[in-house]
Amino acid sequence: MTQALERVSLEIERGTTVAFVGPSGCGKSTLLKLIAGLVRPTEGAVAVNGLTVAGPVKNVGMAFQNPVLLPWRTVLDNLVLPLEILRENHDPRAPARALWRERASALLGTVGLAGAEHRQPRELSGGMRQRVSLCRALIHEPALLLLDEPFAALDAFTREEMWELHQKLRLQREFTGVLVTHDLREAVFLAQTIYVMSAGPGRIAHVHRVSLDGPRTLQQLYSTEATALIRDMREQIRPTRRAVA
Amino acid sequence: MSPHLRRLVLPLAVFAGLVVVWEVAVPALRIQQIVLPAPSGIVRTMVQTAGPIAFHARHTLVTTLIGFVAAVGLGLLLGFLIGASATANDALYPLLVGFNSIPKAAVVPMLVMWFGIGAVPAVLTAFLLAFFPVAVNVAVGLATLESELRDVLRVLGASRWQIFRKVGVPRTMPLFFASLKVAVSSAFVGSVISETVASNAGIGYLMAVAASDFNTRLAFGGLFVLAAMGVVLYGLFAVIERRVTGWAYTE
Repeated sequence: MTQALERVSLEIERGTTVAFVGPSGCGKSTLLKLIAGLVRPTEGAVAVNGLTVAGPVKNVGMAFQNPVLLPWRTVLDNLVLPLEILRENHDPRAPARALWRERASALLGTVGLAGAEHRQPRELSGGMRQRVSLCRALIHEPALLLLDEPFAALDAFTREEMWELHQKLRLQREFTGVLVTHDLREAVFLAQTIYVMSAGPGRIAHVHRVSLDGPRTLQQLYSTEATALIRDMREQIRPTRRAVA
Repeated sequence: MSPHLRRLVLPLAVFAGLVVVWEVAVPALRIQQIVLPAPSGIVRTMVQTAGPIAFHARHTLVTTLIGFVAAVGLGLLLGFLIGASATANDALYPLLVGFNSIPKAAVVPMLVMWFGIGAVPAVLTAFLLAFFPVAVNVAVGLATLESELRDVLRVLGASRWQIFRKVGVPRTMPLFFASLKVAVSSAFVGSVISETVASNAGIGYLMAVAASDFNTRLAFGGLFVLAAMGVVLYGLFAVIERRVTGWAYTE
Protein backbone atom coordinates (compact mmCIF):
# COMPACT_ATOMS: atom_id res chain seq x y z
CA MET A 1 0.00 0.00 0.00
CA THR A 2 1.43 3.36 -0.95
CA GLN A 3 1.44 6.18 1.51
CA ALA A 4 -1.16 8.82 0.60
CA LEU A 5 -0.20 11.61 2.98
CA GLU A 6 2.87 12.69 4.90
CA ARG A 7 3.39 15.29 7.62
CA VAL A 8 0.09 16.98 7.02
CA SER A 9 -0.75 19.15 9.98
CA LEU A 10 -3.39 21.84 10.05
CA GLU A 11 -6.25 23.34 11.97
CA ILE A 12 -9.55 24.47 10.52
CA GLU A 13 -11.32 27.30 12.25
CA ARG A 14 -14.98 26.74 13.01
CA GLY A 15 -17.31 28.41 10.53
CA THR A 16 -14.72 28.87 7.81
CA THR A 17 -14.21 27.00 4.58
CA VAL A 18 -10.83 25.62 3.62
CA ALA A 19 -9.92 24.27 0.23
CA PHE A 20 -7.35 21.67 -0.79
CA VAL A 21 -5.98 21.98 -4.30
CA GLY A 22 -3.22 20.05 -5.94
CA PRO A 23 -2.35 17.55 -8.64
CA SER A 24 -4.16 14.24 -8.96
CA GLY A 25 -2.87 11.71 -6.48
CA CYS A 26 -1.87 14.22 -3.84
CA GLY A 27 -4.12 12.58 -1.27
CA LYS A 28 -6.80 15.27 -1.17
CA SER A 29 -9.65 12.79 -1.10
CA THR A 30 -7.85 10.64 1.47
CA LEU A 31 -7.61 13.71 3.66
CA LEU A 32 -11.38 14.17 3.46
CA LYS A 33 -11.95 10.55 4.38
CA LEU A 34 -9.59 10.90 7.31
CA ILE A 35 -11.54 13.90 8.58
CA ALA A 36 -14.82 12.01 8.15
CA GLY A 37 -13.39 9.00 9.96
CA LEU A 38 -14.01 6.76 6.96
CA VAL A 39 -10.36 5.68 6.90
CA ARG A 40 -7.99 5.62 9.84
CA PRO A 41 -4.61 7.29 9.79
CA THR A 42 -1.71 4.83 9.90
CA GLU A 43 0.09 7.45 11.94
CA GLY A 44 -1.02 10.60 13.70
CA ALA A 45 -4.52 11.67 14.58
CA VAL A 46 -7.49 13.72 13.45
CA ALA A 47 -9.73 15.58 15.86
CA VAL A 48 -13.11 17.08 15.07
CA ASN A 49 -14.66 19.43 17.60
CA GLY A 50 -11.85 18.59 20.02
CA LEU A 51 -12.52 14.84 19.94
CA THR A 52 -10.14 12.37 18.34
CA VAL A 53 -11.75 10.66 15.34
CA ALA A 54 -11.99 6.88 15.85
CA GLY A 55 -14.85 5.92 13.54
CA PRO A 56 -17.20 7.65 11.09
CA VAL A 57 -17.75 11.18 12.39
CA LYS A 58 -21.46 11.71 12.74
CA ASN A 59 -21.90 15.43 12.57
CA VAL A 60 -20.77 15.52 8.97
CA GLY A 61 -22.42 15.95 5.60
CA MET A 62 -20.70 14.78 2.44
CA ALA A 63 -21.17 15.52 -1.25
CA PHE A 64 -19.19 14.24 -4.20
CA GLN A 65 -18.72 14.90 -7.90
CA ASN A 66 -21.21 12.09 -8.49
CA PRO A 67 -24.47 13.13 -6.80
CA VAL A 68 -25.38 9.44 -6.13
CA LEU A 69 -29.08 10.01 -5.59
CA LEU A 70 -31.27 6.93 -5.20
CA PRO A 71 -33.16 6.66 -8.50
CA TRP A 72 -36.11 4.80 -6.97
CA ARG A 73 -36.82 7.59 -4.50
CA THR A 74 -38.34 10.99 -5.23
CA VAL A 75 -36.30 14.09 -4.47
CA LEU A 76 -38.07 14.43 -1.13
CA ASP A 77 -37.48 10.79 -0.20
CA ASN A 78 -33.82 11.16 -1.14
CA LEU A 79 -33.53 14.13 1.17
CA VAL A 80 -35.07 12.41 4.17
CA LEU A 81 -32.87 9.30 3.84
CA PRO A 82 -30.29 10.71 6.30
CA LEU A 83 -33.09 11.50 8.73
CA GLU A 84 -34.46 7.96 8.44
CA ILE A 85 -31.08 6.58 9.36
CA LEU A 86 -30.58 8.95 12.29
CA ARG A 87 -34.06 8.09 13.56
CA GLU A 88 -33.52 4.34 13.30
CA ASN A 89 -30.31 4.75 15.24
CA HIS A 90 -32.04 6.84 17.93
CA ASP A 91 -29.67 9.65 17.14
CA PRO A 92 -30.55 12.75 19.20
CA ARG A 93 -30.17 14.88 16.07
CA ALA A 94 -33.10 13.17 14.38
CA PRO A 95 -35.98 15.63 14.17
CA ALA A 96 -39.60 14.51 14.65
CA ARG A 97 -40.99 12.88 11.53
CA ALA A 98 -43.60 15.63 11.18
CA LEU A 99 -40.83 18.15 10.59
CA TRP A 100 -39.02 16.23 7.84
CA ARG A 101 -41.08 17.43 4.94
CA GLU A 102 -41.05 21.01 6.03
CA ARG A 103 -37.31 20.97 6.53
CA ALA A 104 -36.67 19.34 3.15
CA SER A 105 -38.98 21.75 1.35
CA ALA A 106 -37.35 24.75 2.99
CA LEU A 107 -33.93 23.51 1.96
CA LEU A 108 -35.09 22.86 -1.60
CA GLY A 109 -36.47 26.39 -1.69
CA THR A 110 -33.09 27.78 -0.67
CA VAL A 111 -31.33 26.02 -3.53
CA GLY A 112 -33.96 27.10 -6.06
CA LEU A 113 -35.73 23.75 -6.33
CA ALA A 114 -39.03 24.68 -4.66
CA GLY A 115 -41.78 22.35 -5.82
CA ALA A 116 -39.40 19.62 -6.97
CA GLU A 117 -40.24 17.36 -3.99
CA HIS A 118 -42.03 14.71 -5.99
CA ARG A 119 -39.85 14.66 -9.06
CA GLN A 120 -37.68 11.67 -9.86
CA PRO A 121 -33.89 12.16 -9.95
CA ARG A 122 -33.78 11.02 -13.58
CA GLU A 123 -35.97 13.98 -14.55
CA LEU A 124 -33.44 16.48 -13.19
CA SER A 125 -30.48 18.11 -14.90
CA GLY A 126 -26.95 17.55 -13.61
CA GLY A 127 -26.94 20.88 -11.79
CA MET A 128 -30.29 20.14 -10.16
CA ARG A 129 -29.11 16.72 -9.02
CA GLN A 130 -26.03 18.27 -7.50
CA ARG A 131 -28.23 20.72 -5.63
CA VAL A 132 -30.28 17.83 -4.25
CA SER A 133 -27.06 16.07 -3.28
CA LEU A 134 -25.95 19.22 -1.45
CA CYS A 135 -29.32 19.41 0.30
CA ARG A 136 -29.01 15.79 1.37
CA ALA A 137 -25.61 16.58 2.85
CA LEU A 138 -27.15 19.46 4.83
CA ILE A 139 -30.57 18.08 5.83
CA HIS A 140 -29.41 16.92 9.25
CA GLU A 141 -27.75 20.32 9.85
CA PRO A 142 -24.20 19.02 10.18
CA ALA A 143 -21.51 21.23 11.67
CA LEU A 144 -19.03 20.07 9.06
CA LEU A 145 -19.59 19.82 5.31
CA LEU A 146 -17.06 17.80 3.30
CA LEU A 147 -17.09 18.36 -0.44
CA ASP A 148 -15.04 16.27 -2.86
CA GLU A 149 -14.99 18.06 -6.22
CA PRO A 150 -18.73 18.54 -5.93
CA PHE A 151 -19.14 20.76 -8.97
CA ALA A 152 -16.51 19.25 -11.27
CA ALA A 153 -19.03 17.57 -13.58
CA LEU A 154 -21.08 20.73 -14.15
CA ASP A 155 -20.76 23.24 -16.96
CA ALA A 156 -18.93 26.47 -16.17
CA PHE A 157 -22.01 28.64 -15.68
CA THR A 158 -23.85 26.15 -13.53
CA ARG A 159 -20.68 25.75 -11.51
CA GLU A 160 -20.52 29.46 -10.77
CA GLU A 161 -24.16 29.40 -9.72
CA MET A 162 -23.33 26.56 -7.35
CA TRP A 163 -20.51 28.61 -5.81
CA GLU A 164 -22.92 31.42 -5.06
CA LEU A 165 -25.41 28.93 -3.72
CA HIS A 166 -22.80 27.35 -1.48
CA GLN A 167 -21.86 30.77 -0.12
CA LYS A 168 -25.49 31.57 0.59
CA LEU A 169 -25.99 28.28 2.42
CA ARG A 170 -22.87 28.81 4.48
CA LEU A 171 -23.93 32.30 5.53
CA GLN A 172 -27.32 30.90 6.59
CA ARG A 173 -26.15 27.75 8.31
CA GLU A 174 -22.68 28.56 9.52
CA PHE A 175 -21.16 25.14 8.91
CA THR A 176 -17.46 24.55 8.60
CA GLY A 177 -16.55 23.58 5.06
CA VAL A 178 -13.76 21.43 3.66
CA LEU A 179 -13.52 21.49 -0.09
CA VAL A 180 -11.36 19.37 -2.34
CA THR A 181 -11.13 20.74 -5.85
CA HIS A 182 -9.08 21.03 -9.02
CA ASP A 183 -10.62 24.36 -9.82
CA LEU A 184 -8.47 27.20 -8.48
CA ARG A 185 -11.13 29.84 -9.08
CA GLU A 186 -13.57 27.72 -7.11
CA ALA A 187 -11.11 27.50 -4.23
CA VAL A 188 -10.58 31.28 -4.27
CA PHE A 189 -14.30 31.98 -4.37
CA LEU A 190 -15.31 29.59 -1.62
CA ALA A 191 -12.41 29.30 0.82
CA GLN A 192 -10.85 31.51 3.45
CA THR A 193 -7.74 29.34 3.47
CA ILE A 194 -6.33 27.33 0.57
CA TYR A 195 -3.82 24.51 1.01
CA VAL A 196 -1.79 23.71 -2.08
CA MET A 197 -0.68 20.09 -1.93
CA SER A 198 2.08 18.22 -3.67
CA ALA A 199 1.93 14.57 -4.61
CA GLY A 200 3.62 11.29 -3.78
CA PRO A 201 3.04 11.19 -0.79
CA GLY A 202 0.76 14.18 -0.38
CA ARG A 203 2.09 17.10 1.63
CA ILE A 204 1.01 20.63 2.20
CA ALA A 205 3.32 22.66 -0.03
CA HIS A 206 1.84 26.14 0.38
CA VAL A 207 -0.86 27.86 2.38
CA HIS A 208 -2.76 30.90 1.11
CA ARG A 209 -5.19 33.12 2.98
CA VAL A 210 -7.87 34.54 0.74
CA SER A 211 -8.65 38.00 2.02
CA LEU A 212 -11.48 38.90 -0.38
CA ASP A 213 -14.40 40.53 1.44
CA GLY A 214 -17.50 38.45 1.93
CA PRO A 215 -20.06 37.84 0.72
CA ARG A 216 -18.02 37.33 -2.40
CA THR A 217 -19.10 38.07 -5.92
CA LEU A 218 -17.95 36.52 -9.17
CA GLN A 219 -16.61 39.97 -10.07
CA GLN A 220 -14.04 39.67 -7.30
CA LEU A 221 -12.48 36.72 -9.13
CA TYR A 222 -11.27 39.21 -11.76
CA SER A 223 -9.62 41.48 -9.17
CA THR A 224 -5.85 41.86 -9.24
CA GLU A 225 -5.57 40.08 -5.92
CA ALA A 226 -7.59 37.04 -7.00
CA THR A 227 -5.92 36.66 -10.37
CA ALA A 228 -2.48 36.98 -8.79
CA LEU A 229 -3.37 34.31 -6.26
CA ILE A 230 -4.70 31.97 -8.95
CA ARG A 231 -1.56 32.48 -11.03
CA ASP A 232 0.67 31.80 -8.03
CA MET A 233 -1.13 28.57 -7.21
CA ARG A 234 -0.96 27.47 -10.84
CA GLU A 235 2.77 27.92 -10.81
CA GLN A 236 3.03 26.03 -7.54
CA ILE A 237 1.03 23.05 -8.82
CA ARG A 238 2.49 22.79 -12.31
CA PRO A 239 6.02 21.57 -11.40
CA THR A 240 4.64 18.94 -9.00
CA ARG A 241 2.40 17.71 -11.80
CA ARG A 242 5.36 17.28 -14.06
CA ALA A 243 7.14 15.30 -11.39
CA VAL A 244 4.23 12.87 -11.24
CA ALA A 245 3.92 12.55 -15.00
CA MET B 1 -47.95 2.18 -35.52
CA SER B 2 -47.02 2.65 -31.88
CA PRO B 3 -43.72 1.07 -30.86
CA HIS B 4 -45.64 -1.11 -28.43
CA LEU B 5 -47.91 -2.53 -31.09
CA ARG B 6 -44.98 -2.83 -33.48
CA ARG B 7 -43.13 -5.07 -31.07
CA LEU B 8 -46.16 -7.33 -30.92
CA VAL B 9 -47.18 -7.34 -34.57
CA LEU B 10 -43.78 -7.69 -36.26
CA PRO B 11 -42.74 -11.03 -34.74
CA LEU B 12 -46.25 -12.42 -35.24
CA ALA B 13 -46.15 -11.42 -38.91
CA VAL B 14 -42.77 -13.09 -39.41
CA PHE B 15 -44.06 -16.22 -37.65
CA ALA B 16 -47.18 -16.29 -39.84
CA GLY B 17 -45.02 -15.86 -42.93
CA LEU B 18 -42.80 -18.81 -41.96
CA VAL B 19 -45.86 -20.99 -41.31
CA VAL B 20 -47.26 -20.16 -44.76
CA VAL B 21 -43.93 -20.99 -46.46
CA TRP B 22 -43.81 -24.24 -44.50
CA GLU B 23 -47.42 -25.13 -45.40
CA VAL B 24 -46.75 -24.57 -49.09
CA ALA B 25 -43.29 -26.15 -49.15
CA VAL B 26 -44.26 -29.54 -47.67
CA PRO B 27 -46.55 -30.66 -50.55
CA ALA B 28 -44.57 -28.71 -53.16
CA LEU B 29 -41.31 -30.46 -52.26
CA ARG B 30 -43.11 -33.77 -51.68
CA ILE B 31 -41.86 -34.07 -48.12
CA GLN B 32 -43.31 -37.06 -46.33
CA GLN B 33 -45.65 -36.18 -43.47
CA ILE B 34 -43.75 -38.50 -41.18
CA VAL B 35 -40.57 -36.52 -41.71
CA LEU B 36 -42.03 -33.03 -41.63
CA PRO B 37 -45.79 -32.61 -41.30
CA ALA B 38 -47.49 -29.49 -42.63
CA PRO B 39 -48.59 -26.95 -40.00
CA SER B 40 -52.25 -27.55 -40.77
CA GLY B 41 -51.83 -31.24 -39.94
CA ILE B 42 -50.00 -30.39 -36.73
CA VAL B 43 -52.76 -28.04 -35.65
CA ARG B 44 -55.40 -30.69 -36.42
CA THR B 45 -53.57 -33.22 -34.25
CA MET B 46 -53.18 -30.62 -31.50
CA VAL B 47 -56.92 -29.95 -31.49
CA GLN B 48 -57.70 -33.69 -31.41
CA THR B 49 -55.34 -34.28 -28.50
CA ALA B 50 -56.13 -31.03 -26.71
CA GLY B 51 -57.12 -32.83 -23.50
CA PRO B 52 -53.89 -34.81 -23.00
CA ILE B 53 -51.79 -31.85 -24.17
CA ALA B 54 -53.43 -29.59 -21.57
CA PHE B 55 -52.80 -32.20 -18.87
CA HIS B 56 -49.13 -32.56 -19.75
CA ALA B 57 -48.66 -28.82 -20.20
CA ARG B 58 -50.06 -28.21 -16.74
CA HIS B 59 -47.71 -30.81 -15.31
CA THR B 60 -44.70 -29.15 -16.95
CA LEU B 61 -45.86 -25.75 -15.76
CA VAL B 62 -46.21 -26.93 -12.18
CA THR B 63 -42.79 -28.63 -12.03
CA THR B 64 -41.23 -25.56 -13.68
CA LEU B 65 -42.77 -23.15 -11.21
CA ILE B 66 -41.89 -25.22 -8.14
CA GLY B 67 -38.28 -25.44 -9.31
CA PHE B 68 -38.31 -21.78 -10.20
CA VAL B 69 -39.62 -20.61 -6.83
CA ALA B 70 -37.03 -22.70 -4.98
CA ALA B 71 -34.31 -21.33 -7.29
CA VAL B 72 -35.37 -17.74 -6.65
CA GLY B 73 -35.20 -18.35 -2.90
CA LEU B 74 -31.75 -19.89 -2.96
CA GLY B 75 -30.55 -17.48 -5.67
CA LEU B 76 -31.54 -14.48 -3.55
CA LEU B 77 -29.82 -15.88 -0.47
CA LEU B 78 -26.64 -16.77 -2.32
CA GLY B 79 -26.66 -13.50 -4.22
CA PHE B 80 -27.01 -11.45 -1.05
CA LEU B 81 -24.27 -13.44 0.61
CA ILE B 82 -21.84 -13.14 -2.30
CA GLY B 83 -22.71 -9.52 -3.00
CA ALA B 84 -22.40 -8.36 0.59
CA SER B 85 -19.24 -10.21 1.60
CA ALA B 86 -16.03 -10.12 -0.39
CA THR B 87 -14.89 -13.26 1.42
CA ALA B 88 -18.01 -15.18 0.43
CA ASN B 89 -17.56 -13.90 -3.10
CA ASP B 90 -13.97 -15.10 -3.32
CA ALA B 91 -14.83 -18.46 -1.78
CA LEU B 92 -18.06 -19.27 -3.60
CA TYR B 93 -18.09 -17.52 -6.94
CA PRO B 94 -15.58 -19.82 -8.71
CA LEU B 95 -17.47 -22.86 -7.39
CA LEU B 96 -20.72 -21.46 -8.71
CA VAL B 97 -19.22 -20.85 -12.13
CA GLY B 98 -17.84 -24.38 -12.15
CA PHE B 99 -21.18 -25.82 -11.14
CA ASN B 100 -22.99 -23.78 -13.73
CA SER B 101 -20.76 -25.04 -16.52
CA ILE B 102 -21.90 -28.65 -15.96
CA PRO B 103 -24.52 -29.42 -18.63
CA LYS B 104 -27.59 -30.14 -16.53
CA ALA B 105 -28.77 -32.91 -18.86
CA ALA B 106 -25.79 -34.86 -17.52
CA VAL B 107 -27.16 -34.56 -13.98
CA VAL B 108 -30.60 -35.95 -14.77
CA PRO B 109 -29.55 -39.66 -14.74
CA MET B 110 -28.15 -39.13 -11.26
CA LEU B 111 -31.32 -37.45 -10.07
CA VAL B 112 -33.31 -40.37 -11.49
CA MET B 113 -31.03 -42.77 -9.65
CA TRP B 114 -31.78 -41.02 -6.37
CA PHE B 115 -35.41 -40.00 -6.77
CA GLY B 116 -36.78 -42.36 -9.40
CA ILE B 117 -38.71 -41.48 -12.51
CA GLY B 118 -41.27 -38.69 -12.08
CA ALA B 119 -41.76 -35.10 -11.11
CA VAL B 120 -38.96 -34.81 -8.55
CA PRO B 121 -36.03 -34.94 -11.00
CA ALA B 122 -37.88 -32.43 -13.21
CA VAL B 123 -38.34 -30.00 -10.34
CA LEU B 124 -34.72 -30.41 -9.30
CA THR B 125 -33.37 -29.92 -12.81
CA ALA B 126 -35.48 -26.78 -13.15
CA PHE B 127 -34.11 -25.57 -9.84
CA LEU B 128 -30.49 -26.32 -10.75
CA LEU B 129 -30.74 -24.42 -14.01
CA ALA B 130 -32.57 -21.42 -12.61
CA PHE B 131 -30.78 -20.36 -9.43
CA PHE B 132 -27.53 -19.29 -11.07
CA PRO B 133 -28.78 -16.25 -13.01
CA VAL B 134 -30.67 -15.03 -9.95
CA ALA B 135 -27.66 -15.40 -7.64
CA VAL B 136 -25.27 -13.71 -10.05
CA ASN B 137 -27.54 -10.75 -10.79
CA VAL B 138 -28.33 -10.10 -7.16
CA ALA B 139 -24.64 -10.33 -6.25
CA VAL B 140 -23.66 -7.90 -9.00
CA GLY B 141 -26.32 -5.42 -7.90
CA LEU B 142 -25.01 -5.42 -4.35
CA ALA B 143 -21.32 -5.47 -5.16
CA THR B 144 -21.47 -2.47 -7.50
CA LEU B 145 -22.80 -0.06 -4.89
CA GLU B 146 -21.16 3.36 -5.41
CA SER B 147 -18.52 3.98 -2.77
CA GLU B 148 -19.62 7.63 -2.50
CA LEU B 149 -23.10 6.55 -1.51
CA ARG B 150 -21.67 4.23 1.10
CA ASP B 151 -19.58 7.11 2.48
CA VAL B 152 -22.55 9.50 2.58
CA LEU B 153 -24.46 6.97 4.68
CA ARG B 154 -21.58 5.86 6.88
CA VAL B 155 -20.91 9.38 8.12
CA LEU B 156 -24.53 9.40 9.30
CA GLY B 157 -23.69 6.41 11.45
CA ALA B 158 -25.46 3.93 9.16
CA SER B 159 -24.63 0.29 9.87
CA ARG B 160 -23.80 -2.21 7.15
CA TRP B 161 -27.24 -3.70 7.66
CA GLN B 162 -28.90 -0.30 7.18
CA ILE B 163 -26.95 0.36 4.00
CA PHE B 164 -27.91 -3.10 2.76
CA ARG B 165 -31.58 -2.54 3.53
CA LYS B 166 -31.99 1.08 2.44
CA VAL B 167 -29.75 1.04 -0.61
CA GLY B 168 -28.41 -2.41 -1.46
CA VAL B 169 -31.71 -4.27 -1.70
CA PRO B 170 -33.73 -1.69 -3.67
CA ARG B 171 -30.75 -1.06 -5.91
CA THR B 172 -30.56 -4.77 -6.71
CA MET B 173 -34.23 -5.12 -7.58
CA PRO B 174 -33.97 -4.20 -11.29
CA LEU B 175 -31.25 -6.81 -11.77
CA PHE B 176 -33.20 -9.31 -9.71
CA PHE B 177 -36.35 -8.88 -11.75
CA ALA B 178 -34.35 -8.97 -14.96
CA SER B 179 -32.89 -12.28 -13.81
CA LEU B 180 -36.36 -13.72 -13.13
CA LYS B 181 -37.28 -13.86 -16.79
CA VAL B 182 -34.03 -15.62 -17.58
CA ALA B 183 -34.48 -17.94 -14.61
CA VAL B 184 -38.02 -18.90 -15.48
CA SER B 185 -36.95 -19.79 -19.02
CA SER B 186 -34.06 -21.85 -17.64
CA ALA B 187 -36.34 -23.63 -15.18
CA PHE B 188 -38.67 -24.47 -18.04
CA VAL B 189 -35.82 -25.91 -20.10
CA GLY B 190 -34.70 -27.93 -17.08
CA SER B 191 -38.15 -29.42 -16.52
CA VAL B 192 -38.54 -30.44 -20.13
CA ILE B 193 -35.06 -31.99 -20.35
CA SER B 194 -35.78 -34.11 -17.33
CA GLU B 195 -39.26 -35.07 -18.58
CA THR B 196 -37.86 -36.14 -21.91
CA VAL B 197 -35.38 -38.48 -20.24
CA ALA B 198 -37.26 -39.80 -17.28
CA SER B 199 -40.87 -38.98 -16.54
CA ASN B 200 -44.38 -40.23 -17.02
CA ALA B 201 -46.00 -36.85 -17.45
CA GLY B 202 -45.26 -33.45 -18.92
CA ILE B 203 -44.80 -32.09 -22.41
CA GLY B 204 -41.28 -33.50 -22.57
CA TYR B 205 -42.65 -36.97 -21.83
CA LEU B 206 -45.48 -36.48 -24.35
CA MET B 207 -42.94 -35.62 -27.05
CA ALA B 208 -40.69 -38.56 -26.17
CA VAL B 209 -43.65 -40.91 -26.44
CA ALA B 210 -44.86 -39.30 -29.69
CA ALA B 211 -41.39 -39.62 -31.18
CA SER B 212 -41.12 -43.30 -30.26
CA ASP B 213 -44.52 -43.85 -31.98
CA PHE B 214 -43.31 -41.93 -35.05
CA ASN B 215 -46.17 -39.54 -34.36
CA THR B 216 -44.30 -36.60 -35.85
CA ARG B 217 -47.35 -34.32 -35.78
CA LEU B 218 -47.81 -34.71 -32.05
CA ALA B 219 -44.09 -34.24 -31.44
CA PHE B 220 -44.23 -30.96 -33.38
CA GLY B 221 -47.40 -30.05 -31.50
CA GLY B 222 -45.43 -30.45 -28.29
CA LEU B 223 -42.74 -28.14 -29.63
CA PHE B 224 -45.32 -25.47 -30.40
CA VAL B 225 -46.80 -25.77 -26.94
CA LEU B 226 -43.33 -25.48 -25.41
CA ALA B 227 -42.51 -22.40 -27.45
CA ALA B 228 -45.81 -20.77 -26.52
CA MET B 229 -45.37 -21.53 -22.83
CA GLY B 230 -41.80 -20.25 -22.88
CA VAL B 231 -42.83 -16.98 -24.50
CA VAL B 232 -45.72 -16.49 -22.09
CA LEU B 233 -43.58 -17.15 -19.00
CA TYR B 234 -40.83 -14.84 -20.22
CA GLY B 235 -43.34 -12.15 -21.18
CA LEU B 236 -45.08 -12.39 -17.84
CA PHE B 237 -41.88 -11.72 -15.94
CA ALA B 238 -40.81 -9.02 -18.36
CA VAL B 239 -44.09 -7.19 -17.62
CA ILE B 240 -43.64 -7.65 -13.86
CA GLU B 241 -40.10 -6.29 -14.17
CA ARG B 242 -41.30 -3.14 -15.93
CA ARG B 243 -44.06 -2.61 -13.41
CA VAL B 244 -41.97 -3.08 -10.29
CA THR B 245 -38.68 -1.46 -11.27
CA GLY B 246 -39.74 1.04 -13.91
CA TRP B 247 -37.50 3.66 -12.28
CA ALA B 248 -34.46 1.84 -13.61
CA TYR B 249 -35.42 2.68 -17.19
CA THR B 250 -34.79 6.18 -18.40
CA GLU B 251 -37.25 7.21 -21.04
